[in-house]
Amino acid sequence: MANDDVLLQLSGVTRTFGGLTAVDGVDLTVRRGQIYSIIGPNGAGKTTVFNLITGIYRPTSGDVTLDGNSIVGYTPDRVLRAGVARTFQNIRLFNNMTVLENVLVGQHVRFPGDLISIVFHLPNYNRAERAARARAIELLGFFGPSMVALQDEYALNLSYADRRRVEVARALGSNPKLLMLDEPTAGMNDAETAEAVGYIQALRRDFGVTILLIEHKLQVTMGLSDRIAVLDYGKKIAEGLPDEIRTNELVIEAYLGRKAAI
Amino acid sequence: MSVRSGTRPEPAWRARLRALLRDTTLAGRPLEWYLSGWRLALILLVVMVIFPWLVGSTFVADAIAVGIYITLAVGLNIVVGYAGLLDLGYVAFFAIGSYAEATGTFGALQLNSVTGEVIHTPVLPFWPLLVIGALVAGIFGIVLGAPTLRLRGDYLAIVTLGFGEIVPILFNYFPFWFGNTGMSALPPADINLGGLTITFSDPLNRIPFYYVVLAVVALVILGSFSLRDSSLGRAWVAIREDETAAASSGVNLVRTKLLAFGLGATMGGLGGVLNGAYIGAISPNDFPFFVSITVLMMIVLGGIGSIWGVTLGAIILRFIDVDLLGRISQFVQANPVVNNPVSPLHFLSTVDFNQAKYLIYGIMLLLMILFRPQGIIPDVRRRRELKGIGAAVESTSAIGVLEREEAGAELAAVDTLDQTTYAGPGSDDIGRSGD
Amino acid sequence: MHTMALAAAGPAGFLNFLQAIKIGITAGAIYALVALGYTLVYGIIELINFAHGDVFMWGTQVTFVLITALGITSTIGGWQLVGVLALLVVAASVFCGVLNVTIERLAYRPLRRAPRLAPLIAAIAVSFILENIAELWRGPGQIAFPNLFPSTALININQTFVVEYRDVFIVVLALVIMFALSRFILGTKLGRAMRATAQDPEAAQLMGVNINTTIALTFLLGGALAGAGAVVFTVSTAGYVWFFTGFQFGLYAFTAAVLGGIGNVNGAVLGGFMIGIVEGLSIAYLPQGSILSTAVVFGVLVLVLVFRPTGFLGAQVPDKA
Repeated sequence: MANDDVLLQLSGVTRTFGGLTAVDGVDLTVRRGQIYSIIGPNGAGKTTVFNLITGIYRPTSGDVTLDGNSIVGYTPDRVLRAGVARTFQNIRLFNNMTVLENVLVGQHVRFPGDLISIVFHLPNYNRAERAARARAIELLGFFGPSMVALQDEYALNLSYADRRRVEVARALGSNPKLLMLDEPTAGMNDAETAEAVGYIQALRRDFGVTILLIEHKLQVTMGLSDRIAVLDYGKKIAEGLPDEIRTNELVIEAYLGRKAAI
Repeated sequence: MSVRSGTRPEPAWRARLRALLRDTTLAGRPLEWYLSGWRLALILLVVMVIFPWLVGSTFVADAIAVGIYITLAVGLNIVVGYAGLLDLGYVAFFAIGSYAEATGTFGALQLNSVTGEVIHTPVLPFWPLLVIGALVAGIFGIVLGAPTLRLRGDYLAIVTLGFGEIVPILFNYFPFWFGNTGMSALPPADINLGGLTITFSDPLNRIPFYYVVLAVVALVILGSFSLRDSSLGRAWVAIREDETAAASSGVNLVRTKLLAFGLGATMGGLGGVLNGAYIGAISPNDFPFFVSITVLMMIVLGGIGSIWGVTLGAIILRFIDVDLLGRISQFVQANPVVNNPVSPLHFLSTVDFNQAKYLIYGIMLLLMILFRPQGIIPDVRRRRELKGIGAAVESTSAIGVLEREEAGAELAAVDTLDQTTYAGPGSDDIGRSGD
Repeated sequence: MHTMALAAAGPAGFLNFLQAIKIGITAGAIYALVALGYTLVYGIIELINFAHGDVFMWGTQVTFVLITALGITSTIGGWQLVGVLALLVVAASVFCGVLNVTIERLAYRPLRRAPRLAPLIAAIAVSFILENIAELWRGPGQIAFPNLFPSTALININQTFVVEYRDVFIVVLALVIMFALSRFILGTKLGRAMRATAQDPEAAQLMGVNINTTIALTFLLGGALAGAGAVVFTVSTAGYVWFFTGFQFGLYAFTAAVLGGIGNVNGAVLGGFMIGIVEGLSIAYLPQGSILSTAVVFGVLVLVLVFRPTGFLGAQVPDKA
C-alpha cells in the first residue's frame, strides 16, 4: 500500500455537544515523521480534536485510525498503549508529586500489571522500576542538566516553562509513536518560545517521534510544521504546506475577519 | 504560587525532640536512624512479639481487638487514603469476612426434623477460611466496585453506604444464617506439634490467637507499604491529583480504582475472619453503620494515607473505647465537686461516659476535619492536598466533568468569538495551576 | 399493569393494593419534604448534607417536647388540633432551620474550598453528634407518643382500604408547603439569588448576590422543611420519637432526591412519592417485608446512582465543574 507511511488518520470525525457541533466532519492525515500543526481561532475545536483522538471524548461519528487500526472507543490509557501520548493546553501535572514521579507515572504502562509482582516487588517489578528511573533521568536530561537537578522538586514549585518540559518528558515516557502537544508555547515569552521550538524539532530528531501540535502563534507554526490544517467553527477550512496556508484567503478571513491578533 | 505560605515555624518541643533523636547515639548511630523505615517496623514487630510476656494476659484480648481494627483501618486506608475513594459501607466486607468464618467453621444450622436437635456441619477449618473469607470479601468489593466506581466521589460514598446497609439485612433475611439470632463462629482448631499442643479455644489464654492476629497485621502493614511504594501506588496518587492526566499517562482508571477497592475489601474480609474467630458468635446487629464510621474515624484521626497514622488511629480509638471512657467516668464520679449532692455538677455522677462514645467520636471527627485534616501522623502528600495545594481542576470523575466543562467552554467561545481577541491563552492556565 | 393483575386476584387483593399505595403516598409526602432539603443544599453547594436526616430527627424531638409541655396525652380534634399543629409546625421549622444554618456556619463553611470529601466527612461527623446528643438526652429506646388525630375514617372499605383525617392532612400540608416553596424560588428576589448561586456562584457574586447569605438561606429553608416534615411524621405516623430515626429516614429522603434528580425541586417531590410507594408495596408484598423493604429502598438507591445518576427529571441545576 502507498499509505504505509500514514500514522494517524481522521475520517469525517464529528462531535456534537447538545445542539452544538464542536467538530464537524474533520479529515486529517498525519504521516510518520511529520510535524503536523492544527491551527484556528479560539473555540474552533482544536482541543476537542485532541480529546477525540486520545479517547477523552468519543466521536459522534467518523473514524480515527492509528497505523490503520481504528482506535475509536478506546479509553485514554488504551490510546496511550497504542502509541499516542499527549500534553494539555493548561498543563496537567500531578502537582503534589515530584518531577521524577511525574515522569515515572508517564511510564506506567511499562510496569508489570499483575498484583503479585507489584505487592512482592518481584524481580521483574524491580527491573522495571530501575529501568523506568534511569529512563526518567534520561528524559529529563533531554531538557538539560538543570531539569535533572529538579527531579525531587514538587511539580507545583516549578516555573511555567519547566512545567511544560516535565509534561513533555512524562508524555515521552511511554515511547509514543505520536506525540500530541496542545499549545506547547502558550504563556511563554519570546525567548522561551524559541527554546520550545528548538526542542520540538529535537524531539523528532532524537526520539523519532511524529508530532501533532496545536499552536496559536502563527510564526511558530509556520517555521516548525511540515503540514498545517486550519479549523474554524469545527470544520477544516484548509490544509497544506505552510506557504499555502499563509496565502489562503479562507484562513486570513477566519483569523483577521474577527479582529483576532495573530 | 508560594507553597510556604501555609507552613508555620516548628514548635519548640518538636525541634527539641528532633535534636534529641539526632544527637543521641546508640552503637554509633543516631536514634533517628533506628526510628525510620524498616528498622522502625522491625523494632515494633519485636516489641509486639514479646508484648504478651510484658503485660500479661489482661491486655492481650485488647491487643487482639486493636489488631483487628488495624487490619480494617489499613485496608480502608487503601481505598480512602491511597485511591481517594470514600467508602462508607466498609462494614459490609467486615461482615462478609465474619460470616464466611462462621459459616465455614460452624456450618449452617439445621434443625433435625426427626429428633428436633439442632445440628451444624462445619465446612472448612479456620486456616483456609482466612484466605477464602478475605477473597470472598475482595470479590464482593470488585463486584460492587465495577459498576459504581465511575460515579463521582460523593455518590460513590452513598452507594457504598447503601451496600453496607444491605449486607447485614440480607444476612438477617436468609434463614441459612439464622436471622437476628446470628450464629456461632469457632476459633482455629488446636495444633498438635508432637508433645506441644497450641490451643486457640481457651478464653483465658488468648496468646496463641494474638500471634495469629499479629502475623496478619504485620503482613497487612507490610503489603500496604509495598503497594504505596509501587507503580500502583503512584498511579493512585496520580488519579487523586488529576484523573484525566493519569488516564492520558496510561493509567487504566477503572482497573486501578477497582484494585484499591478490591484490596481494601480483602483486608476488611481478613479483619472479619479474625473477628469471627475472636468473638465466637456473630449476628447481623454486629455490623451497623457505626463500624464503618469508626474505621473512617481511625483514618482521619491518624492521618489519611499514612500507614503508621491509621495504625495509631486504631490504637487510640480502641483505647478510648475500652479504657479511657471508663476511667473518665470513674474519675468524674469520684470527684468531690461532682460527688457533693448540692453541687450544680452533681448530675454528672449519673452520666456514663461510655455511652457518650459515639458523641465523642463525632466531635473528634469534626474537629479533626476542620482543624487538622491531615491527622496526627500526616502523609506528606496528603497534607499538601488537604490544604488545597495544587488542587486539580476537578478531582472526582474528571472525564465526565471535563467533557461538560469543555463543552461549555466551546459554547462560550463560539458565542463570544465576535467580540474577543485572543486573551493570552496562558493567562488562565497560570491562575489555575497556582491556585 | 400490576394493578390489573392484582385486581384480578379479587376485590380484597385490590383493596390491599390501594391501601399499600395510600401508605406509600403519605410516607412519600414526608420523604418529599425532607428530600427538598437535600436537593436545595446539593443544588447550591454540591454537598450531600448527611446531617439533614438528623436535623429532621431533632424536629421530632422538639415536637415531642412541645406536646408534652402542652400536656396533650391523647387525641384532640377540631380547631384545637389545627391550632396545635400550626404552633408545632412553626416551632419545629424555626428550630430546625436555625439548627441547619448553625451547622452550615460552623462545620461546612470553613471547608468550602477544601477537597470535596472533607465537607462530606464533616457532615457525617455532625450527623453523629446530633444523633448521640439525642441518645444521651432521651436514651436509646423509642419513646411512645400519642397520635393526635381522631381515628375517624373518611373512607373505609371492608376495614382494608382506610383513609383517615391524618392521611389527608399529611398530603395537603406537604403539597401546600411545596407549592409555596416553588413560588418562593421562582418568584422572589431571594429565590432568584439562590438559583443564580446554584448556576454559577462566581457570576452570581459579581452580580451582587451575597453568596454566604444565600447559602445560609438555603440551609434555613431546607431545615424549616425538615422541621415541618418532622411534625407531620411525629403527630401522624410514627407513634414514637427515637434518636436514630434520622439515619434511615434521611437516607430514604436522600434516595428520593436522587431518584427525582438531585438539585431539582420537582424531582425531589416526585422522588419522595416514588420512594414512599416502593416502600409501601415492599412491606405489603415481599416476604418479611418490613425487613426487606429497607434493602429494596437502598437497592433502588444503588441502582439509580449507578444507571441514572441524574435521576428521572435530570438536574435543572447544571453540574458545576
